[in-house]
Amino acid sequence: MDPDRDDAARLRRGDTDGLAGLMQRHQDRLFRYLLRLTGDEPMAEDVFQQAWLQVTERISRYDAARPFAPWLFTVARNLALDQLRRIRPESLEEAGEPAAPAGTGDDPLGRAVALERASRLLDAVGTLAPLDREVLSLRFDADLELPQLAEALGVPVPTAKARLYRALARLRERLLAHAPAEEWR
Amino acid sequence: MSAHVTELLPLAAAGTLDAQEQALVAAHIGECEACARQALAWRRVATGLAELPAPRPSRALVARTVEAVEVRLAERAERAWNRAALGFLIAFAWTLAVLSWVVIDLVAGGLALRLDRPVGPTAAWYAAYVLTGWLAAGVATAFAGRRAPQEGRIA
Repeated sequence: MDPDRDDAARLRRGDTDGLAGLMQRHQDRLFRYLLRLTGDEPMAEDVFQQAWLQVTERISRYDAARPFAPWLFTVARNLALDQLRRIRPESLEEAGEPAAPAGTGDDPLGRAVALERASRLLDAVGTLAPLDREVLSLRFDADLELPQLAEALGVPVPTAKARLYRALARLRERLLAHAPAEEWR
Repeated sequence: MSAHVTELLPLAAAGTLDAQEQALVAAHIGECEACARQALAWRRVATGLAELPAPRPSRALVARTVEAVEVRLAERAERAWNRAALGFLIAFAWTLAVLSWVVIDLVAGGLALRLDRPVGPTAAWYAAYVLTGWLAAGVATAFAGRRAPQEGRIA
């Protein structure tokens, strides 16, 4: 039996234990994803809470025949992109100067980075466009397989693959431009 | 160096190739030193991404979220109850209104007879039935009106 399916059914009946099970399994990677996508901890926390509220409201629309994680990430993604568009109306596909790039300055995430190499990688990720950060996070933080990743993004698998390729290529460009040459070659 | 295989290297490091593509890459980097070096570099990037610090939501955030969801579930249960109560009241009002005619006919022995009596116990009963029906409909309408703004806010 799929525990997500069982817990979703319980939540549909109004049982908060169903929510507890879903949160326990997905809250960490959802939070990491939101942190990487938004690059802003308060915004990630706000969207995190809104996402679970919306999951509760819309749980009757969840198709239990499909995996829960892509549906959850789609709900959270739509909320996060709405917020990002409000504060950053220009294209989310373009890299800019994020309000608070993950891993820099006084960001708690940055403080937690023990290794300099990891810190440089995190900084490079922070300079990517939100939609590039997103696809990397869905693969490496949320650990979604390609079909699930595509479902979360709402695009066909080849498109998701192309987006992942572009994001990785851009990341490596940044790393090669700003890090010691031997490190990423 | 094959351009096609070069494009597959980052996706191979990300673990997103199908078995056929993966076999193609493995065969190629066994023969091409430049691509083997590139594959290693991509693996370093992918491994680095997978090993980045994994921040977790604070306990306070999780507690706030659970509390907000519980409130939302309570509101949802209340809305469901209100809808059921409203449906019952409306059905009750309509039943009263329809039954009143049947009752009047039974008590008065027919519509024609009832019309011949200007005021009497039958007419009083009829008026009571109608007023009760209207009252129930009025309560239902007021109830619906009071709930409507809240329904809209939640949706």
